[in-house]
Amino acid sequence: MTSLGPNVRMKKRMIFCIIALSIAGTAVILLRLFQLQMVQAEDLQRLAAQQQMRVTSISSQRGTIRDRNGNILAKSGTVWTVYLSPVDIDNEEERQLIAEGLADILDVTPEFVLEKSRRNTYYEIIKRKIERPLADEITQFLQENKITAVGLEEDYKRYYPYGSLASTVLGFTGMENQGAYGIEAYYDKVLSGTPGRVVSAKNAWGTDMPFKYEKMYEAKDGNDIVLTIDVNIQQFLEKHLEQAVIEHNVQNKAAGVVIDVQTGEILAMSTKPDFDPNTPNQIYDSAVAAQLDEMKTALEGMAEGEAREQAEQEYRTALSEAQFDQWRNKVISDPYEPGSVFKIITASAALEEKTMNLGSAFNCTGNYELLPGVSYNCWKAGGHGHQNFAQALQNSCNPAFIMIGQSLGQERFRKYFEAFGLMETTGVDLPGESGSIYHTEEDFSVVSLASSSFGQTFKVTPLQLITAVSAAFNGGELMQPYVVKQIVDSDGNTVEEKSPVAKRQVISAETSATIASLCESVVSQGSGKNAYIPGYRIGGKTGTSEKLDKQINGEVDKRISSFMGFAPADDPQIAVLIMLDEPYMTNPYGSVIAAPVVKNIMADVLPYLGIEPEFSEAEQKYADVAVPNLNTLKRGEAEAELNSVNLKARFVGEGETVVGQLPQMKEEVPRGSTVILYTDGVTTLEDVEVPDVLGRTSLQANAAILAEGLNIRLDGVADTGQVTQVISQDPAPGTVVKPGTVVTVEIIATDLTD
Amino acid sequence: MQPAARGNIDVTFLILVLLLLTFGLVMMFSASYADAYYRKDDSFYYIKRQMLFAVGGLAVMIFLAYFDYHWWKKLALPIFAVSLLMLVVVLFMPERNGAKRWIFILGQSIQPSEVAKFAVILVFAVLISLYGEKMRTFRYGILPFAAVLGTVAALMVLEPHLSGTILILSIGIVMMFVGGADLKWFLLLLCVLIAGVGIVVLIPGVIEYAQSRFQYWLDPFSDPLGKGFQTIQSLLAIGSGGLMGLGLGNSRQKYLYIPEPQNDFVFSIVCEELGFVGAAIILIFFALLEWRGFVIAIRAKDKFGSMLAVGLTTQVGLQALLNIAVVTNTIPNTGISLPFFSYGGSSMVMLMAQMGVVLSVSRQAALEKQ
Repeated sequence: MTSLGPNVRMKKRMIFCIIALSIAGTAVILLRLFQLQMVQAEDLQRLAAQQQMRVTSISSQRGTIRDRNGNILAKSGTVWTVYLSPVDIDNEEERQLIAEGLADILDVTPEFVLEKSRRNTYYEIIKRKIERPLADEITQFLQENKITAVGLEEDYKRYYPYGSLASTVLGFTGMENQGAYGIEAYYDKVLSGTPGRVVSAKNAWGTDMPFKYEKMYEAKDGNDIVLTIDVNIQQFLEKHLEQAVIEHNVQNKAAGVVIDVQTGEILAMSTKPDFDPNTPNQIYDSAVAAQLDEMKTALEGMAEGEAREQAEQEYRTALSEAQFDQWRNKVISDPYEPGSVFKIITASAALEEKTMNLGSAFNCTGNYELLPGVSYNCWKAGGHGHQNFAQALQNSCNPAFIMIGQSLGQERFRKYFEAFGLMETTGVDLPGESGSIYHTEEDFSVVSLASSSFGQTFKVTPLQLITAVSAAFNGGELMQPYVVKQIVDSDGNTVEEKSPVAKRQVISAETSATIASLCESVVSQGSGKNAYIPGYRIGGKTGTSEKLDKQINGEVDKRISSFMGFAPADDPQIAVLIMLDEPYMTNPYGSVIAAPVVKNIMADVLPYLGIEPEFSEAEQKYADVAVPNLNTLKRGEAEAELNSVNLKARFVGEGETVVGQLPQMKEEVPRGSTVILYTDGVTTLEDVEVPDVLGRTSLQANAAILAEGLNIRLDGVADTGQVTQVISQDPAPGTVVKPGTVVTVEIIATDLTD
Repeated sequence: MQPAARGNIDVTFLILVLLLLTFGLVMMFSASYADAYYRKDDSFYYIKRQMLFAVGGLAVMIFLAYFDYHWWKKLALPIFAVSLLMLVVVLFMPERNGAKRWIFILGQSIQPSEVAKFAVILVFAVLISLYGEKMRTFRYGILPFAAVLGTVAALMVLEPHLSGTILILSIGIVMMFVGGADLKWFLLLLCVLIAGVGIVVLIPGVIEYAQSRFQYWLDPFSDPLGKGFQTIQSLLAIGSGGLMGLGLGNSRQKYLYIPEPQNDFVFSIVCEELGFVGAAIILIFFALLEWRGFVIAIRAKDKFGSMLAVGLTTQVGLQALLNIAVVTNTIPNTGISLPFFSYGGSSMVMLMAQMGVVLSVSRQAALEKQ
C-alpha cells in the first residue's frame, strides 16, 4: 500500500514547487507591490489625482475703489456667463431651439450658436458678462423648454459710476477681471482677493462621482481702496481742463493735477481727452475712431489673401496704438520741458545757497551774451531794464535767470535739481510712471546750465514738477505724492493706512516762505495776473515751453502752455498744475491760456475746501454785498441805506415810497451796483437783452452793460494798465433778463507773456 | 480501486478557500459597482450574478469533496476527448475581441480552455500514477505528455488564447516535474525558453505583436491612451493605495478609469482600496492555499490523488501569480483572471469544483493518517 502514495523524489519536488510558487513567487510580487505602493506611490498618486480631480475656481469679488469722502468710483457687480454644453444636446430639434432662443435673447446670430453646438465639448461660451435682466430671460427660456445643455455661471463685472471721471487714474479691468491699467493694475493684488476653488472627484467620463468627495476653499474677497482723490475737486479740475482743451484746440492733450502740498496727497489728476473705463476699448477721439472705422470697412471689402492679412495687421496696430494713447496718464507718463515754471526751483536754490538775495539787481537789455557768440534774447524786445530779484521772477526774465543760474554754477544747480526729486521718479503708486530726462554730469556745460535755468533742455513729468515746486513753497519739504490713502478689507476693517512721507528737507522754511511770497507777487503784480481771484492769496508761476525737439526749419513750432498755482500764499494748502500740450492760438503763452484755467479751478476748489475769501482794503471794491430790503422806505431813506453799503439807487416812477426793487433783497451784487427802486407800482422798466461783450476790453464791456441798465461783475484781473479781453459772460448774449441783473464777465489780460 | 472514503476533509484548506472566496466576492463587488452603475444602470449587476455562481460553486465543491475522486480516473479520457472537441468547435464560433474563446450554449458561455485545463490535469495525473518509475524515461516521462500538451496548445493558439496556452503548458510542466521526469529535459526546456524569448525580443516580426507588447510592457506611457492605457490605469490605482489604501469602497480608479475592473484588473482595485497591507494579506492567503494544497498532495495515499492536488493547486497558484504580475506590470499584459476575485460564472463554478476535488483528495489522505 505504501508504494501507492507519492515517492520521496516526488515529495522533494513538491517541496521545491511550494518554495518556488508560494515563497519565491509571492516574494517577487510583494517586492513589486512595495515598489509601486510605497516607493513610487507619490508620483502615481499625483498622476491619478490629475485625472480624477476637477478644480473649479470661484471668483472672488473685487474690492471697491472710493474717493476720500467715500464716493464709489469703481465697484464690482454680479453678471453671468452663458455657456453651452454641446455634448448634452439631445437632438437636432433641441439644437435649433437653443440656437434660436439664445440668438434672440443675447444678440448673437443663430449660426454662431449652431457652430459652437457642433463641437464635441462640455463647455462653449456663448456670451460673457450679461446682466440680470438678460440672465433672467435666459433662465426663463431654459425652464420653459426644459433645456439642460445651456447654463449660467456667475462672474463679476466692473462698474465705474462716474464714467470717465478720473479714468486715467482709476484705469480699468480686463475680461478676467484683472486690473489692466491705473489703480486697478497697480493695486490688482489688493483689489482682486484670492479666488476660491472647489476640488471634486470626477469619473473618466468627466461627470461627478456619486460620492461626497469634494473640498471647498472659500474665495476671499478683495480689499477696498480709499483714494486721496476728491470727486468734487476732480470734477472741478476736469470741467475746466476739458473746456480749455476745446477752447484752445489743444492738439496733444492737456494734463492737470491738484495736490495737497502739505501731505503729498493727490486730490485730483486728469488727462483730457480721456476715456470711459466702463468701455475702455472704444475709441473716444471721434477723428481717430472715424479713421479706424474707415480702415475696417476697407478691410472687410478685401478678398482673402496676403494683402488683407497685412491690412488687418495694420488695423490692429492702429487700434491698439489709439487705445494706449487714450489710456495714457500724461501727468505721470509724459515728461516735458517745464519752461518758466521751473524758475521757482532756480530761484529757490539761489536764495537757499545765498548766491543771490532779494536785493540782487539785474539789468536786462533784451539780449544776454553768455559767452562770445552764445547769446540769449529776452522774450521782451528791448528788455526789462533794471529789476530786482522779485521783479525778475514777476517778469519771468530769462537773462536774469541765466545770471541766477550762473551764480549757482553747474554743481550746485545739479545738487538742487536732484534734491528736488527731479532725477528720480516720484514713486507715486500708479503704473507707468516715467522718469525725467536731463543732462548728464559730463555734458552739463555752462550753456546747458543757462537754458536749464529757465526750464528748457530737460524734461520732467507734470507730477515731478508739481511735487518739486511744492517743496519750494510748502516749508521746504519734498513730499512723496500718493493716490491711495487707505486699504480696507471686505468687512470694513482698516488693513493699511497710508500717512504722508516727507522725502527730505530741500530748502529752509525761511527760504520757502520767501518763495511763496515771491510767487504771490507774480500773480498780484506780474505775469500771473490771470490767476488772480479777489479775496484769495494765490501764488503761481506761468510757463511756456518751446518744444525744442520739434523744430521745423529752426523755428519752434509747438509750445506747451502751463501754469502752476497754489493757495493760500501765506499758508499753502493746495497746488494746481495745468499743462496744455500744443494749444492752437495766436498767443500760446501760459500766462494767457493756462493761468485762467488754474484761476477757475481755484475759484471752485478753495470755497469747497472751506477756505473763505478775505478781501484786502484794495480788494473791497470786488467784494459782493447783499442788497438790503428797501420796501416801504422813503426815497431819501432808501438812498442812504444803499449808499451805506456802496450801492447806488435809481428811482423809477412818481411815488415817494419804495414799493418794489431789483435786484431783490439779499441778492449778492458787486459793490457800486445800481439798485432799481419802483415807487408808484405803475411804472416799470421793460426786460432787457444782455449785450454781447465777448472779445471786448473790460472798459467796453462795462460801458455796454451799464448802458442797458444792468450791473456788471468783473471776474479776473481787474488792474488797469493791462490790455484785457472778455473771454466769457454769464448770462449769455441775447438772454432776456430783468433790469438791474448782474452780468458776470470774465476777463483776462492778454498783454502778458511769460 | 479504493472503497469510498469516509475521512474528514482538510479544514485548513477549506477555510482558506472560503476566506479567499469571501474576500473575492466583497472586492469584486466593490470593484464592479461603479462600472455596473454607469454601464448597466445597476450597481449590483455583477455581484448578483457572481453570488449565484458562488453559491452554485459551493454546492458543487461540497458535492465533489464527498465524491470519490477515483471516479475521475475513469472520466479522464472522456473528459479529455470532450475538451478536445470543444477546442475544435470553438474555432467555428464568432469572434469576440479578435479571438474565438467562447462557446455559447443555451445563452450560457463556456471557455473550452477552462475545461481543457482540468482535462489535462486529469490525464497527466492518470499517466503519472500509471507510469510510476518509468517517468524517468523519455518514452514514458516526456513523449505522451508532450503529445497531449502539444495538441491542446496547438488548438488554443489557433483561437488564439496565448495566456491560456502558457498557463496549461506551465501546469503540465510542473506536473511532469513533480511526477518524476528526468531533470535534464527541464534544463533543456529552460534553454529553449530563453532562446525563444531572446529570438522574439531581438528579431522583430517573428511573432506578430510580441515586439509591441514588449514595448508597452517596458514603457506603458509611450501610448497612454491606447495600448498602455489599461496598464497605466492599473498602476495609478495600485500607487494610489499606498500603505493602508483609500479604504474599502473608496477606489476612484474604478470610476470608469480602469476598463472592466470586475475582470482581470480587480486586484488593482484591491490594492487601491486596501493598500499594500491588504494586498499582501491576500497574497499570503494564496500562498497558504498553495502550501496547503501541496501538503494534501504530499499526504495523498495514492499517486493519482497526489498529482490531482498538485495540478489543481498549481493551477490556482500560477493563475493568481500571473494575474497579479500582469496587474502590477511585472510581466506583459495577458488575459489571465484572478481566481476567487474575477467576475465570471463558468470559471467560478469550475474553480470551486476543482477545490472540491482537492478536498476530496484530502479526505483520503486524512483517512490514511488514521
